[in-house]
Parts: sequence; structure tokens; C-alpha cells
Amino acid sequence: MASAANANLNAVRETMDVLLEISRLLNTGLDMESLSICVRLCEQGINPEALSAVIKELRRASESFKASENCTN
Amino acid sequence: MAHWSTFEKETEKETKKLIRSISKIEDEEDQNFQSALKFTWSNFKFHRYLDVDSHKVQRSISGIYEKLMVHSDLSKAGSWMRLTEEFLNSPLPNTHETKTDAHYSVLSLLLFLSDSPSNTNFTERLWAKETEPEDNFDWAKYLMEGEDIDAGPYPDTPEWSEEESEDDDSQQPISREDSGIQLDRTPQEDQDSSNKTVPVAWTVGEPDARAWLEQHVVTPYWATHASRFPHSLHLHSNLLNVWDQHLYNTDPLYLPEEKAFVSETQVIRETLWLLSGVKKLFIFQHHDGKVSVRNDVVVTHLTSNCLLSVLEHVSVYGQAVFRLQRFIDEVTGHSSEPGPPGSGSCSRKGSEPPFRTYQAFVWALNKYFTGFKEELTTIEKEIISNDETVTLSAVLERLSSHLAQIKVLHKVFCTGVAEVPPATPNVVRASHLLNTLYKAIIEYDSVGEASEQTVALLFSLWTETVRPYLEIVDEWIVHGHLFDPAKEFIIQRNKDVPVNHRDFWYATYTLYSVSEMVDNEEKLNDAASGSSGGDQSSSNRQLTMVSFLKPVLKQIIMAGKSMQLLKNLDWKEAESSETSSRDAERKSLYTLFLESVQSRLCSQEGSPANTVSEQQATARSLVKMQSIMAQHLEIDDVHDPLLAINFARLYLEQSDFHERFSGGDFIVDRSSQSITCQTFELTLRSCLYPHIERRYIECCGNLMKTLKKDYMLLEYLQAMRNHFLLEAGDTMYDFYTAIFDKVQEKESWQQPSFLNMQLQEAVGQRYPEDSSRLSVFLENIDPSRKKHPVNNLDALTLSYKVPWPVDIVISSECQKIYNQVFLLLLQIKWAKYSLDTLRFSDFTDIAEKLEGSLGEEVKPKEPSNQQIHRMCLLRVKLMHFVNSLHNYIMTRILHSTGLEFQHQVQEAKDLDQLIKIHYRYLATIHDRCLLREKVSFVKEAIMKVLNLVLIFSDRWQAGFGAWKIESIDKVESDFKNCHMFLVTILNKAVCRGSFPHLESLALSLMAGFEQC
Repeated sequence: MASAANANLNAVRETMDVLLEISRLLNTGLDMESLSICVRLCEQGINPEALSAVIKELRRASESFKASENCTN
Repeated sequence: MAHWSTFEKETEKETKKLIRSISKIEDEEDQNFQSALKFTWSNFKFHRYLDVDSHKVQRSISGIYEKLMVHSDLSKAGSWMRLTEEFLNSPLPNTHETKTDAHYSVLSLLLFLSDSPSNTNFTERLWAKETEPEDNFDWAKYLMEGEDIDAGPYPDTPEWSEEESEDDDSQQPISREDSGIQLDRTPQEDQDSSNKTVPVAWTVGEPDARAWLEQHVVTPYWATHASRFPHSLHLHSNLLNVWDQHLYNTDPLYLPEEKAFVSETQVIRETLWLLSGVKKLFIFQHHDGKVSVRNDVVVTHLTSNCLLSVLEHVSVYGQAVFRLQRFIDEVTGHSSEPGPPGSGSCSRKGSEPPFRTYQAFVWALNKYFTGFKEELTTIEKEIISNDETVTLSAVLERLSSHLAQIKVLHKVFCTGVAEVPPATPNVVRASHLLNTLYKAIIEYDSVGEASEQTVALLFSLWTETVRPYLEIVDEWIVHGHLFDPAKEFIIQRNKDVPVNHRDFWYATYTLYSVSEMVDNEEKLNDAASGSSGGDQSSSNRQLTMVSFLKPVLKQIIMAGKSMQLLKNLDWKEAESSETSSRDAERKSLYTLFLESVQSRLCSQEGSPANTVSEQQATARSLVKMQSIMAQHLEIDDVHDPLLAINFARLYLEQSDFHERFSGGDFIVDRSSQSITCQTFELTLRSCLYPHIERRYIECCGNLMKTLKKDYMLLEYLQAMRNHFLLEAGDTMYDFYTAIFDKVQEKESWQQPSFLNMQLQEAVGQRYPEDSSRLSVFLENIDPSRKKHPVNNLDALTLSYKVPWPVDIVISSECQKIYNQVFLLLLQIKWAKYSLDTLRFSDFTDIAEKLEGSLGEEVKPKEPSNQQIHRMCLLRVKLMHFVNSLHNYIMTRILHSTGLEFQHQVQEAKDLDQLIKIHYRYLATIHDRCLLREKVSFVKEAIMKVLNLVLIFSDRWQAGFGAWKIESIDKVESDFKNCHMFLVTILNKAVCRGSFPHLESLALSLMAGFEQC
């Protein structure tokens, strides 16, 4: 049983590797961590379009925030 | 928030993680975080979006693939398709199925997030991970260097280019000591490889490394359907394709064939291998000794016809090399495969003595091929080092002089060796080969400078090939031993004739002369080339024999025979021990020959003798060259003294190169050969013949000295003259007068015992040593011939036992001639003796008697006195005639000719000459004694007179009464006729001036005739 789980784990890891490659190829800017979060969210039924919008917005916001912070500093 | 399900809690947790991950805000209480969370939640929960459409995603995937293809990002496109495919078929963390909505939603998320994928620099990391770190080991260099293969610890090491290394010395497989292998090990492998013999997986993953290897390692083009090597797409390097295309377009029936593509380098290397004698090649193929070119081999930048024509040109030379190589192998016995029956090697078994002329020829060929192969190897090394462009035409151009030489060699080989029928004896083979070489040299020599190199090559070949012959000659003329086990020399010893036989000089050796025209062999007995027939059949001999020996052949034969004779005469020279010790230091004929050739070449070159001056000359010429070079460079506005010096040195080295190009001890300097070879025959004349000549003079001089001194040749010749030619007058007088007395007294004298006793008595007194050798015997004479009293003596034959080796000179044939002269002399002496012994007192007694008894008969008295008077007169006339003849023969002929002969004998150089002189002497006296067939009528007349003399004296002695006046008349008239006839004939001969020696005889006879 443990070996089966292990095999599954390996398979998932491989999947994630493949996915990371795709992500890199598409130049999404996602790292392994955020990618796995995204996968889990997608699996939970979050609409990818919404998720992508959120991610884009969050990135933008965080960037503007950083820029403003830099300015205030 | 109590109504939140665990599902929502999970989602919130993940959302927070996401926000943290993306916005990098760790603190959940942060306002920004909270607003972000709120925003996210509202988006997730309250915004409405269409559900994920798998078809749409699929279309996007294909769209991106297409876009990448359009951008010709082939590797990216490939990766893209593969990755997406793999992803869709892989399980997700909580979804074990494949190609679910979750998969597509993840993909669609990524697609939404994607930012111009075509502009990114993407290299697939996933695959790279699985490969080794980049291999920076220089494999090609490694393989080219070459050391012995030892698969030991790495049995799976791929076997590299096996076919190639078998031909190429510089490429050899891997050795264990090579540490390069260790570089390939990854740390991971080191960790998990408990088994140390685990092979290194020799894979080259990085594309550039692979490409590099492909460039540097020979692809197995010899394998069928080998993959085509990469080459430039430039038009020039695709002529073949262009041409094919053209053919395809113009000819509707044109069917492109399957071709094996090779590169030009491969063609060049195969060419080089072919010329160095390799048989198993891809491009060139051997079929029963013939080399042909594969017609399905092409290079990309030439049409196949063009390549084929060039390669066929090469294959001709390849075949020549192959044939020569096979001949070399056959003679040296290296041949693994049995040669064709025509080659003659099959018949030659180990027991047979080696055929040295062929061996020498092969040795010379081999020497040439060594140089040639060195050149080939140099070229191949240049190809391997890849420093400069090497093209096939450049290689052929570079080898052109060699190829021309090979052509010549092959031609010589064909005519000299290959075309000789297999059953030909060795002597014909050897002389034919030498003649072919000789003729080739002369032929090319006449062309002049155009074929200098060829002549040089052939000359060196010839000097090598002639070596066995010269050694045989040397052995023969120095030691008197004709050592020729393979029977290749033109002269062969007849085994059945022992040395101490009187026929030795004539019958011991057989001269084989080979007619070149018909190649059949004829035997000429040595006698023909020896004493008598030396000049005969000269027209025939011009075609025959080993031409280069022809001018000195006689000397060689003479010297050889003399030497052998000398050895058998237990020739004790005072310094014989010294000679044997000197023999070790003695230079052989061949060495002498080579030395003189070399010295001749050197003298012609005018090279300075000592090295100091040579160096000075070099330095001087260097300075000179430098100035010339500087001038040349200045023309091009270059002022670089260093460059000038280097140029100058380069030129000097080139000129030195030829001079250094010489191999063994006595390799003749090739560059200078060209000068001498223009006068090849002159070279031989000045370098070879003098040595033979000198040896000949030495040998024959020794022989003559020995024969004259130790074997008393001259004494024997004197004895012959003494006894046969009656020079020892008193001794022989005792002998023949005894016989004549017996005849006069009408007693029987024809008893061997009586004759021998008389002879021994006569000779024993003064020449005791000859008495035992001399003997007389009577021959049976044809009774029909015995008509006249003069012929009574014909049966008498004198014999002299001549010991060996003098009997070589004084042969039995000579004794026959001696005997003929002896007989003539004896007849004259007899006539003279019988006339001399007549006494007038006989007549006076008779006259008185007649007067007394026939007193009254007056009538016959008158005639009787008259008769007596007439008889006296006749007697005086006859005496005059006989004395004239006697004087003529004894003094004018025998004595003067004898003096001449003695003089010539003293000057005779060799035995053959001596024999010839002796024969000539005998022929002369035979001739001058009028014994020749042609002048037999003169002799007959003389004999008639002598006969008359004998009859006359017989009648005289019988007494007056027995005489009739008529018979006296008859004798008188007969004598008168004969006398007149002789005088006329002799006068005619004298007037013609052709026989000056007859003058005295003619004069004296004439004087006698006039008195009549």
C-alpha cells in the first residue's frame, strides 16, 4: 500500500514537473509553489479564469504596492 | 462562518497560501492581505465565468503549437506538444484519472496566464536532467591518437571505427590507462554503483556535443544504407543533386539510383589506402587481381560520371601497385594466398635455391615502395590533422611523379617479369629482366631531361637487380667458382667435364644466349665464344644475352675459366696466405661498381670535398639567397629581413632535400643520377667494365705466368717445332737419314719398332726429356693413293704426348697439322737426301766399262757420254729445284714464322689468345707450305717433281744400263713442264703481290729455269 502511495506520489511529482515545464514554456511566471496551489484550487473547482484574474490582479497590486512603498521610502 | 464546509476551509487555506505566495505578504492580519483575500474571495465566489471547455483548451494548445512552428521554434513546438500530451495523461494530486476537467482547467489557467510564449528562451529542462553533465572530453582527438584496445574494465565501450583502424595506423582503439573515461562519471553513479564494473553509459546528450562528434568521427559509409552525413546546403556542394534534378526534369525515363554517399576526404583516404596496397576497400574493389571502382559511390559536389572517371584513373595505378605488391609477396614468400599458375611461384618450392635476380629486383621495388608509402602516410597525416584543405585533385597532383614512376615500374614489370611464360628457365628470366631494365633505361635516357626521375629510378632499380649477376661474376673471376644454384647466370658449368680434362677449356661452360625476339633459348657451346668462333654469329648475338655484360663477356669468361684452371693447377703463389687474408678486405665487384658510380656522380656534381667548405658555401649561398629574397620582397613593399632569411633558408633546404634523399649504404644519389644517366652506357663503361677488365688482366696474367713458368708451355712449343718442324736439324737428321738409307737399300723400313728405336736414339742424345714423349707409328693408308714413291712416307706419323694442361694449347688437332708439315718436310728432305747421295763415280765406272766392252760399237758411245752428261745436268737442275724449295720452307717460312710466333706468345694476355695465336701460327705455316686445299695443284706439281727426283735417283743408282735415253727425255720434259708451270704460277702470285713470302721461291725457281 505504501509502495502504491509512493508510486502515486512519484507520478504526481512527475506531473507537476511537466506542468512546471508547460508553465515555463508559456511564460506564466508561476513558481512551483504557486503552481501547486493553483492546481489544488483548480481541483477544488475554482474557475481558472477567475483564478487567473485574481493572480494577475494580485501581481499588479503587489507591484504597485511595492512601487509606492519604494517611493515613500 | 460556521456554515463553511471543510471544502470551503480548504479553499480559503489555499487562497491564503496563494496570496502569500504571490503578494509575498506573510502577515494575515495585514490590511493589504485582508483586502486581497476579500478581493479573491469575491472573485471566486461571486464572479461568473464560463466553465472550462476542453475543446477550447485543445484548440488553444494546437494554436500555440502552430504559432511556434510558424516562428520555426521546432524544438519548442515539439516540447510543447509532448509536455501537454504528457500532462493530460498524468494524474493530478487529487485526481487519479487523466484528461479530466481539472486537467483542462489547470491548462486553461496557464494559458490565461501565459505571456507571449514564443518570445521566451525556453529549453526543456526536464530531459536535460536525465542526462549526464556535458561531456567535454575530446573524443575525436582521443580516437585519433590511438593506442591498443583493452576492453578490460569497460567491456561495453563501443567499438569505434574498426574498419578504419585496420587500415590506418594512427587510429587505434582505447586503452585502459586512458583517464578520460573517468571524466564521464556522474556523482550519482558513483554513489549507487556498488558494482564497479558497471559500464559508463556513454551517451552524449547535449546536441552540440553530438553534432561535434558527428563531425569528427567517421560515419560507417561502407555499411549499406548508411545515414547521410550532414553537409552544407550551398549550391556548389550539391552539384550532384542539381544534376540529378536536371536529368529528372529532362529525361522522363530517368530513374534515380540508390547511391552511397561519401565525402571527398573518404575518397582521398581510400585512394591513399589503395595506393598503399590495401585490398579491402569500399570504393575500390578487387576482382581476380583487377581493381574496379564501385559505380554507386558518389560525392555530393560532383556528378557521378566525373567522380568515376577520376577514380578509374586512380584504380589503374592501384592495380599496378597491387600487381607489383603481389609479385613482391610471391618472391619474398609472404603470400598467404597461392598466386596464379602463371606467376611461377607455385613451381618454386622451398627446396629449390632462391632465384636471386628476382629477389634483388623485389628488394629494389620494395625500397621504392617504402618511400612511396611514407609519402602516402604523410598525406594521410595531413588529412587527419585537418590543418589545410586537401582535395583529391591536389593529392593526385602531389603524387603525380610517383604515379608516373609506378607506371614505369609496372611497365618494366610487365615486360620483364609478367609476360615471361611460366616454364621459362631461370637464366632466361633473369637475363630478360635485366635486358628489359637496361633497355628501358636507354629508352628513357634518350628522352633527356623529361624523364630524369624515371631514369634515376630505373637506374637504382637496375643497380640493385644486377647485384646477383655481379656477385656471381665476382665469385667466379676471383675464386674460380661459378656459384649459381638457381641457374640464373648466362654461363653454366657443365658438370660432367672435370677440370683436369683437356676439353676443359672448351666444353666446361655453356653460354646461354637468349633471343629477345622469340624468347626461345639456344645453347651455344662455349667454344663458339672462346677461341675460334669469337666473332661468329655476331648478328645473332646482338639480340641476345644480357646486354650490359656483352662488351665484357669474353673477359669474364676468360677470367673465370682462367681462375678455375689456376685453382686447379695448385697454383702456389708466394703470397698465397696473404691473398687469403686480403680476401676479407677485398671489395667485391659490386661494391667496387657502386663506389665508382658514386665517385663518378660526385665528380660530376663537383661537390666540395670537405665539410668546412661546404658549410661556407651554404652560408654564402644563404646570404646570396637572402639578398635576392629581400629584393623580391621590396618589390612588394615588404621590408622584413627575417622573412627574407626564412625564405632563403626554405629554398636552400629544398635544394638540399634531394641530396639527403638516399637510403642504405650504397644507395646512389638520385639527384645526380640524372646527369650520369644521360650517358648510361658511358657510366657502365667507366664504372663496371674497368673492374672486370682489371680482374681479367690479373687472372689471365697469372695463368699465363703459371703456364709458362711452372708448366713450361714455351718449352713444349719449342719441342714441337724442334721435332715436327725439324728445327732440331741434327737430331732429326739422325732419324730420317736412317729411314732413307733403308729405303735406298730397298730394305723394309716400315716397322714401328725400327722407327721408334731410331727416333729414341736420335732424340735421346740431345733431348732426353722428350724421348719418352715422342713416338712414331704408321697409319694405314688407302692403297689407291700409293702410286708414287714419294707417298711411301705418308703413313709415317709422329706423336708427342703433351701433358695437361699444356694440351689445352697443343691439342691433337694441332698435332695433325704439325704432322702434315712434318710429312712435307720429310718428303723434301728425302728428295734432297736422295739427290745428295748420288755419286758421279757411279757413272765414271760405268762409262769405263762401256768403253771397254763396247769399244767397237762407236755408235752408242757417243750417246752414252751424252746421256751421262744429260743426267748430270738434270741432277743439278733437280738439286737446284729441291734446294730452293728446301731453303724456302726451312728458312723463309718456318724460321721467320717461328720467330714471329715466339714474339706473339710472349705478349699473349690470356690463354684463349695464346691458343688462337698457336692456331694462327699453324694455319700460317700450313698455308705457306702450300698444303692448303685451294693451292693443291701447286703442291701436286711439287710432289711430281719430288717424285721425279726419287725416280731419277733410283734409276741413277740402279746403274746406267737400266736407262733408256727416252726415259731421260721423259724425266727432263716432265721436270721442265712442272718447273715451268710452277714458275708461271708463282710469278703470277708474286706479281699480284698477295703472297710476298713466295717471292724468294719464285725468284730462285726462275733462276733455275732460265739456266735451262
